[in-house]
Amino acid sequence: MPRGDIKRQTPTQDVPSADRTPERTRKPRARFLVVLAALGPGLLAALAGNDAGGISTYSMDGARFGTAILWIIPVMTVFLIVVQESAGRIAAVTGKGFSALIRETFGVKPTTFAMGALLIANTVVMFSEFAGIAAGMEIFGISRYVSVPLAALLVFLLVLGGSYKRVEKILLAVSCIFISYVAAGIMAGPDWSLVLHDTFIPQIPSNSTFIYMVISTIGTTIAPWMIFSASNNVVDKGVTVKELGLQRIDSVTGAVVADLIAWFIILTTATVLFPNGITIESASDAAYALVPIAGQYSGVLFAAGLVSASALAACMLPLTTSYAVCEAFGWERGIGHTWGEASEFKTLYTAIVVVAAVVVLIPNMNLLFIMLVSQFINGVLLPVLLVFLILIINNKHVMGRYVNGRIYNILSWATVAIVIALTVALLVTMFIGR
Amino acid sequence: MIYLSQMLGISVVDTAGEKLGTVSDLAISAGEVFPRITSMAFRGPGKTPFMISWRKYVADFDDARINLNVSAADVRFSYLQSDEILVARDLMNKQIVDTQGLKIVRVNDIKLSVSHNQLRLLGAEVGSRGLLRALSPHLENVAVAVGKFFKHPLEERIIAWNYMDLLDRDLSEVKLSVTHRRLHELHPADIADILEQLDPQQRASMFEHLDNSQAAEAISELEDEYQADVLDDLTEGRASQVLAQMDPDDAADIIGDLPYHKAEQLLRLMGVEEEKAIRALLGYQEHTAGGIMTSEFLAVDEGTTVDEVIEQMRALDEDHEPVHYVYTTTPGDTPDAPPHLTGVVSMRRLVLARDDDRLGNLAFHDLLTANPDDDQEDTAETISKYDLLALPVVDEDGGLLGIVTVDDAFDVLEEEHDEDLALAGASRDDDEDNTWMVFFKWFMRREIWFAVWVAVIVFSALTGNLTTWLGAILFMPLVLLVADDVATYAINDLIDDDEAQGSLLRLLARDASVGAVVGLIAVSVCAAAMGILDNANALGDSDPYVVSAIVNSIVPTALTILLTLVAGVLLADFARRRKDKGHVVSNAGMATVTMLCAVVLQILVSSAATAVVGLGA
Repeated sequence: MPRGDIKRQTPTQDVPSADRTPERTRKPRARFLVVLAALGPGLLAALAGNDAGGISTYSMDGARFGTAILWIIPVMTVFLIVVQESAGRIAAVTGKGFSALIRETFGVKPTTFAMGALLIANTVVMFSEFAGIAAGMEIFGISRYVSVPLAALLVFLLVLGGSYKRVEKILLAVSCIFISYVAAGIMAGPDWSLVLHDTFIPQIPSNSTFIYMVISTIGTTIAPWMIFSASNNVVDKGVTVKELGLQRIDSVTGAVVADLIAWFIILTTATVLFPNGITIESASDAAYALVPIAGQYSGVLFAAGLVSASALAACMLPLTTSYAVCEAFGWERGIGHTWGEASEFKTLYTAIVVVAAVVVLIPNMNLLFIMLVSQFINGVLLPVLLVFLILIINNKHVMGRYVNGRIYNILSWATVAIVIALTVALLVTMFIGR
Repeated sequence: MIYLSQMLGISVVDTAGEKLGTVSDLAISAGEVFPRITSMAFRGPGKTPFMISWRKYVADFDDARINLNVSAADVRFSYLQSDEILVARDLMNKQIVDTQGLKIVRVNDIKLSVSHNQLRLLGAEVGSRGLLRALSPHLENVAVAVGKFFKHPLEERIIAWNYMDLLDRDLSEVKLSVTHRRLHELHPADIADILEQLDPQQRASMFEHLDNSQAAEAISELEDEYQADVLDDLTEGRASQVLAQMDPDDAADIIGDLPYHKAEQLLRLMGVEEEKAIRALLGYQEHTAGGIMTSEFLAVDEGTTVDEVIEQMRALDEDHEPVHYVYTTTPGDTPDAPPHLTGVVSMRRLVLARDDDRLGNLAFHDLLTANPDDDQEDTAETISKYDLLALPVVDEDGGLLGIVTVDDAFDVLEEEHDEDLALAGASRDDDEDNTWMVFFKWFMRREIWFAVWVAVIVFSALTGNLTTWLGAILFMPLVLLVADDVATYAINDLIDDDEAQGSLLRLLARDASVGAVVGLIAVSVCAAAMGILDNANALGDSDPYVVSAIVNSIVPTALTILLTLVAGVLLADFARRRKDKGHVVSNAGMATVTMLCAVVLQILVSSAATAVVGLGA
């Protein structure tokens, strides 16, 4: 095996090589194509971020607070761009994933902490993906005892069977159903001047749960696993320093598109559900927001979207997790390998899927409690990872001349500071009791 | 041998005992096969980094400190040279290409080989043991013990330095992979040290790069346990050539350890003379003077002149054992018998004597000798006590058979010393003697079922299913013990082909009754607890919850036992197939898996039963 091949052992080895060395012709049309080719991983990662947890959180935001909560979207977009761009940049400059860099910069102990926390947190996020699939399928009248094992088996076979890339596109296409929120939001006829005002002028309603909702919204949008996913995708694609500009475009568009959809989801539920005083208790409540465009089929539409968004995340999440863990500990990884070659990778992947599916099905399981634990772990993990990220990106030995500039650094530390402050606030409310 | 993780952070102390700082890194020069540590970086007070030459300043070191050979004032600091690599900074935690296995792996630790006060970088540890060690050495010990228990020993995975290639872009100019041609620059004893620490595959490929005489010397220097393995890996032609190059006593030692047909094959491939010499030595018992003696010595008739002896010495092979003494003899009683030993002439006497002196006149006649059946340790001690360079071995008639040289005597003393230590209980494998580990092993071997039971109770309590599964849990010891029996029986009967200890039925009857008793005790404790609670609540009629749980569990439990038997047989069959494929099957592992199956079966069966009863009602 030539060395070049060894180096690019990644989940997607079939990335067309044309992506790697784009011809920089001066023709505007060709340039446009290059930019289009650059869009991809970032967009995918960001869209997969709008999973079951994301959609239910956004829906609840709008239903409970109306348009008053819209202002967090622009703020969150800035955070998301900073984090995703940083993750992409370290990967492009070093050719290594985020977990590899944590290991090489901070050694075994911090890595083990980060990977252990990531593993637990992501397994718990997987619960919510399977719960999302179960909720969606129950709208179709299918029992969770049938849908969840089936979904787990499908996820397992699709990804490890190697046909994940094709299926990924299908799932992505189906989860674009959520773009229907754009149409639904517009058709619901909101008061546009109020919407604009609420989007850009922050306000804090005198509601005790508001802060809590803001925190969980940020938590689902900037999830730890997305940092790993973003950097892995860049390594995977073989982006080098030369293509850093395109990489940035990808990161920014991904963040903006994902948040735009989130913005429309909030807008829709704020317009349809909030005035009627409907708070969301179940998936079918959330689906009611789509009535303006889908009428009686809104439930089906919502369920299809929820199931495919959850399935997409359910595929990507264990993949990203086991990839990151294996990269940190130097185990063979990638779905292209046989079980014998990459046993740790495949075992981890299988274990996450199986444990998540089994736990969701255990009778009397307090899923809500587990979700809280998950939020707690994610909350502790996120600031730690962000600090790791900033320390790595400012390390000259690692990044050479691509370290952060001063303004960017201020922005990054501000992000970390706000996330830490919010996390502490979340933990305090969790312990003192809301 | 030692690991980098153990070196980092230890104190650097000068001759006056003053602490200069703590070790932060070691530097090697990249061009060598197994590179020596050339300099050491340490952090002084206030985290100031310093770098000094290892060769010049390090006197010795142990687990806790590095002693310098000068006082702090006389140390000259140096800088990192362009061909040097900092091991902790540039290698630890980094990805490397295992050029032999063609895989990317991550360096979890660096293995160093110690000879005197010199350190060589042997290779990178890329296995899980390095990871565990980095977390905590205790964790590594526990993992190793558990691995041993389940018969899947946790091996080290070392990638030899000459098979690795750095991936890092910054260091790509530093050429790591060096050709094996430099290997011959090392001393055979150093080569042997290194060979012992490599895995067989790497060892074999290193031998391809040694010529026969280097290979012979290196093999002689290896510990006994590796010699036969190494020889086994060589082709027969090569092996016999290498053996012929060795001193006959070393060769005989190794051949003595080989299987009979293999030994014969190798001997037949050799030259007549070497074969004869080795065969002569093979006749003696191991661990006796005869077993360690060599037939390469210089013996002449008493009438020989000094001139003639020197002439004979000139004619000796280059690889002949060093001649420290010339022995004088008179012809034996029969032509076949060995010549009688009469005296010994030391090299010094020989050199100082006149050319025409007769050896018989120069010789020292009051001789210390050994018998071929003498214990090797006594022989070695004689050599050590009288400061001899060699001791002649003679038969009952005084015929000279061979000599035991001082280097072989040292090997014997070292070996016996280790054995004595082991007998005294100071085993080198210290985790064997850890009382906690012994207890753990005993417990695990005997009472896995209890651990599984407790785990199930904890799990069901955590998931809030304790009351739902109460009946199943109360009868679980019964099912678990049955599962254990099935596993044990299957292992003994199907896999080891041993005579089973009694029939399965008797075994089952015995342990099932134990399980039933434990279950009943659990039931009564549970019922008593419920009763107390009920009384405390002052409810009139007590809730027959426990009773109904028990009654409802009897049939499912019986069903589960039957299913467990079936599952046990299937598992045993699976295990046997694994064993046929060459995998190791562990008794404990098999028992654990069978028990887990039993647990799942029981919970499934009793849930199903509850559902059916619920529907019926």
